[in-house]
Amino acid sequence: MAKLPVDVPELVKQFGPTLNRVPAGGWVGSEEQDRMVKTHCCFCGQQCGIQLRVRNNKVVGWEPWEDFPFNLGKLCPKGVKRYMQDEHPDRLKHPLQRVVGKGFEPITWDAALSRVVSEIQRIQQTYGNDAFALLTGASLTNEKAYLMGKFARVALRTANIDYNGRLCMVSAGAASKKVFGIDRSANPWSDLPKAKVILAAGANIAECAPITTDYLWQARENGGKLIILDPRLTPIARNADLYIPVRSGGDIGIFNGMLHIMIERGWIDRDFIAQHTTGFEQVAEAVKKYTPEYSARIAGVPAEMIVRAAEMWGPAPTSFLLHSRGIEHHSKGVDNCIAAINLVVASGRIGREGCGYAMITGQGNGQGAREQGQKCDQLPGARDIENPEHRKYIAGVWGVPEESIPGKGLSAVPLVEAIHEGKIKGLLSICFNPTVSLPDANYVRAALEKLEFYVNIEFFLSETAQYADIVLAGSLMEEDEGTTTSVEGRVIHHRKVVSPPGEAREDWQIICEIARRLGHGDKFNYSSPHDIFEELRVASKGGVSDYYGITWEAIDKNYGMFWPCPEIGHPGTPRLYEGGKFGHPDGKAHFLPIEWRPSAEMPDEEYPIILTTGRVVSHFLSGTQTRRIGGLMDQYPQPLCEMHPRLAEKVGVKDGDFVKVESRRGSVVVHAQVVKTIRPDTVFIPYHWPLDRSANNMTIRAIDPVSNIPEFKICAVRVSKTEQPTDPIAKLEVQAGGIR
Amino acid sequence: MSERAFYIDYSRCIGCQSCVQACAECDTHRGVSLIHLETIQRRESVQTAPQVCMHCEDPICARVCPADAIKKTPDGVVQSSLKPRCIGCSNCVLACPFGVPRYQVEIDQMMKCDYCYDRTSVDKKPMCATVCPSGALTFATAEEIQRSRRGIAINSWKFGNEVVKTKVFVIVPREVERVNVDLVQISPTPSALSEDPYDVALMLESVE
Amino acid sequence: MTKEKVKATFWAFLVTAILARLIVLGSRNLRNFDAALVGYTFATLFAVFGITRRYALWLQRPPTAMYWKRGWTVFWRLFRPRYLASNGIAFVRRIVVDFALTRFIWRRGRMRWAAHWFILWGGVTAAAITFPLVFGWIYFVTDADNFDWYRIHVFGYPTFAFPIRSVFGFFVFHGLVWSSVLVVAGVLLALRRRFRDHGAAALQRFGEDLLPLLLLFAISVTGLMLTASYTWMKGYGYDFLAVLHAITVIFTLLWLPFGKFFHIFQRPAQLGIDFYKRAGEEGGQAQCIRCGQPFATQLQIGDLKAVQSALCIQYGMQDGTHYQDVCPACRRKNLALTQDALWRTPEAELQRFDRF
Repeated sequence: MAKLPVDVPELVKQFGPTLNRVPAGGWVGSEEQDRMVKTHCCFCGQQCGIQLRVRNNKVVGWEPWEDFPFNLGKLCPKGVKRYMQDEHPDRLKHPLQRVVGKGFEPITWDAALSRVVSEIQRIQQTYGNDAFALLTGASLTNEKAYLMGKFARVALRTANIDYNGRLCMVSAGAASKKVFGIDRSANPWSDLPKAKVILAAGANIAECAPITTDYLWQARENGGKLIILDPRLTPIARNADLYIPVRSGGDIGIFNGMLHIMIERGWIDRDFIAQHTTGFEQVAEAVKKYTPEYSARIAGVPAEMIVRAAEMWGPAPTSFLLHSRGIEHHSKGVDNCIAAINLVVASGRIGREGCGYAMITGQGNGQGAREQGQKCDQLPGARDIENPEHRKYIAGVWGVPEESIPGKGLSAVPLVEAIHEGKIKGLLSICFNPTVSLPDANYVRAALEKLEFYVNIEFFLSETAQYADIVLAGSLMEEDEGTTTSVEGRVIHHRKVVSPPGEAREDWQIICEIARRLGHGDKFNYSSPHDIFEELRVASKGGVSDYYGITWEAIDKNYGMFWPCPEIGHPGTPRLYEGGKFGHPDGKAHFLPIEWRPSAEMPDEEYPIILTTGRVVSHFLSGTQTRRIGGLMDQYPQPLCEMHPRLAEKVGVKDGDFVKVESRRGSVVVHAQVVKTIRPDTVFIPYHWPLDRSANNMTIRAIDPVSNIPEFKICAVRVSKTEQPTDPIAKLEVQAGGIR
Repeated sequence: MSERAFYIDYSRCIGCQSCVQACAECDTHRGVSLIHLETIQRRESVQTAPQVCMHCEDPICARVCPADAIKKTPDGVVQSSLKPRCIGCSNCVLACPFGVPRYQVEIDQMMKCDYCYDRTSVDKKPMCATVCPSGALTFATAEEIQRSRRGIAINSWKFGNEVVKTKVFVIVPREVERVNVDLVQISPTPSALSEDPYDVALMLESVE
Repeated sequence: MTKEKVKATFWAFLVTAILARLIVLGSRNLRNFDAALVGYTFATLFAVFGITRRYALWLQRPPTAMYWKRGWTVFWRLFRPRYLASNGIAFVRRIVVDFALTRFIWRRGRMRWAAHWFILWGGVTAAAITFPLVFGWIYFVTDADNFDWYRIHVFGYPTFAFPIRSVFGFFVFHGLVWSSVLVVAGVLLALRRRFRDHGAAALQRFGEDLLPLLLLFAISVTGLMLTASYTWMKGYGYDFLAVLHAITVIFTLLWLPFGKFFHIFQRPAQLGIDFYKRAGEEGGQAQCIRCGQPFATQLQIGDLKAVQSALCIQYGMQDGTHYQDVCPACRRKNLALTQDALWRTPEAELQRFDRF
């Protein structure tokens, strides 16, 4: 039974999070090193190049890697301090088993794996193959992502595998695929400074993709204009030429309203539309009613702003659309993205220098991890698991009968719901901390408690791993080798910097060993991640995301390779859609008409305020790593509830007060931060903290019908002043979910 | 010392604190961050202010130092206080026109940004200017700056009647020859704007 | 020669002359003076001349003069009954913690502290032993009635006696050995840091940072070799070693006023700063004219303004305010706002916002 073996404060005492402030060996001169290894940051989708310093098989520091063309040595604070996760006191170094009343105690690998295998077999024999599920992550390398997908379909034969990219890139991916036929940013970042107008929608670039900042500022230096859509005036928005404080969930108002004006004033490329697209008439029809006034009511901004946006975007010679989670984390996330992309296609400004479109990938391998077949509906090469042709090809690569490959499984949120309903009895998870990162966290915790068996592969005992029966000590990014695919679609090489400490093992070896013990050793007979990549290349061949021509040698030589790269020697494809050639079989872009619809939960009298959630620059996702690094915790130690002074006055709250923020599902107590840089109808809380400080206690389990992304960016809450909480959770250190 | 120089463009800063985190990685003061990053007034704005030592030609910090503890290298880098001499009086902290030196209570001495002398003296970029994601802090050649910025780089400042020349440059619009420093608060320049340029509520006033 | 230099040179002559006179008096008209040590004596006189001159020059710099004056004012306050207890305790505490134990270095690093502390106490004890001996102020005489006893004469006056072959005797006669051992240990630790620490390596200069360590090392090692020579080697190479030792010591003495060792004389000023800060706190805090927050003592801001006008630093603002009245944090904020505003000219802003 996957319940906490002891209470949370006791677990925190044993496993942290505690803060690491000093590198291994102390603050001695950094020159003393054995090796310097060129690799990449483990955190966000920008995948910045960095060199890690190694002394005595320990990461002791870093040096900028100024030659890597994407970031040229630049790093955000997370990149600067990420090396403090190495040699961390909280690091798991042995397999652990849950002992009720005691916590977790070390066991041998043999005992741990025997238990895992026997539980998998018991559950699958008793309840069917699909009763054992996998939850994986988008911070895994391409090799591991590929391996997880194959493990599910070949070793477990369960349909139920999904990944935390479901909380990240799926809306953008689905929209891109629908309109363009390919799910990838269309342009390399080097096109950004050449754009005369950049529209960034729902993208807090300064905090969530900081390295992109310089690209935007370069565009401004070149005379480019910047349009920013965000309910909060972010650091980028401060310098925008037009900042539109859109109401969360009102983005379609802006996009359709802009298109309405562009059509009216003739700022569309009729030739391009005629030659390279389908469906424009339906879209033109759909946006007819989106007059500036109508659109303004949806978006919650003055109509002039929408007009101005159209005036800037419409006639521009070159332009670039960027969007990220702000418009994607909605129950209409795919529609939001399509409405935005329609602006790009209607202008005809795509597929050439300075003209294009990109989604800002959130997780380290947000791009690659969704192509290698660990999504519930996909096979490697971004292939469709329901497509007989695709199934046949992959069955051939894997050497299994096509009919043995399961069909489409449940995506992350329904999968957790199936656990809650008792349909899924066993779970293996890796690189995923759903008790912090999924919406409606109380529900998620309740679901985990219903599992008959739960095994978690982790390097720190995350808040979710606390629920596991067996925890297998896995590897950090720098303790294993592999590739990831960055925000630009650039496949890059993460080198192995050090070996996993103690008895901890590389993740891929753990998975392969379980597969062997399950009797599928012949299908998982790899001697290195490079072996897996070689198979991945073949598996992706002929697919949309074709890696066939990419070799590790080519990656090292060219600072990464852009897919599609169909044959050895092919230079890769940094810019997609050149010459108006799109990814659909007809070679055209497909316009899709979009209607605005309300969000799943709109504010009402009982819960009158919009809650929107997001990230801060010094933390990454569920904070499993960044809440253990002293410098990053100092920068932003505990979640704050941002609210406008007008709202603060209405609810009787002053800056720094303790406030209770509650929705129909749950609540948090945090400090108020009263700022004028947010819409007065909205509050913002970052989501990196667990337990009673988790913004996801309030968020809603509504998902987009197409992408199944949860609606993190809007739910209804109320806010009231409260006293400092004194319960045992509140007394924990702030990195563990306490409050000061 | 290379031909590259240090350039600040405050307006680019996004407050991410990469510079603050990276400063502590500099070998001359590893573990201690000396750069400043001010949040100007969070209630009103997200604007932030990074400040490295500007390395004045005739450093006021050194002139007001009673212990004669602040020295310039031959290549014009104003160093941290000489540890044997500094008596921790804070004159430099209070007199520096850019607000740069820090009094470190634990060691009862002043420390300040030293241009990452361990790095710049061997032609590497300073830590902060290497990592800065926004280009607010940049270490580049004059030619690179000319090519990539609409403004120009100047190094002349006026505080009251005191004219200060610095080794570090600031990027300003083309017509500006010297930064004349008067006391300002967050406020819009043109009369067309509201008193509160970053108040989202005021931007939304005309919504029905 | 500038006025400052004339003044400094005068003081240097005066102090050197006083010391010379004291040597003559203390050694009873050179009766107790060991002629072999004359080289040391002249080097010392030169060092005193140089140190005094540099010190006097230093004191005439406006900021130093200000602190000198203030330092003595607050120091004499020490003896007023009102302050005696609290300031007296602070004074003693400060001397013990900062001078005897050098806690501020401890906080910079344990190894650094060990290096400095060994050199400090090695040097202090060595100086305390050698200078009075060189000047003939102290000498030892075997007691007339007991050849196994030594009597110490100070300024020619006999004081107590002790047995030569006692533990006390052993320690006294090997005083310089203990000093040398401390210094050598400290120097080796310091050199280790200087060679291994990349940051220190970048900043250090030979003359300023390495030479003093090498000199201390040379003095100590040649001194130890002298002891070794007469203790175990029957005086092998003693004369040569004695000359070598004298050269190292004399060179160090001559170099004393110019290099890093000057901090030995300068650093005690820190004590004055402590009292200055305490006195300032009683006088109230200066408030920043931009943010209204207290940021320093009124005493120091006033003094700084006076120092600045002596140095011709013109911080007076157009509107009659004074830039010195702005706190450092506000200066930084103000700079960013000023530069940012240069980009937001009315024309530029209206272009951005012309829809409103």
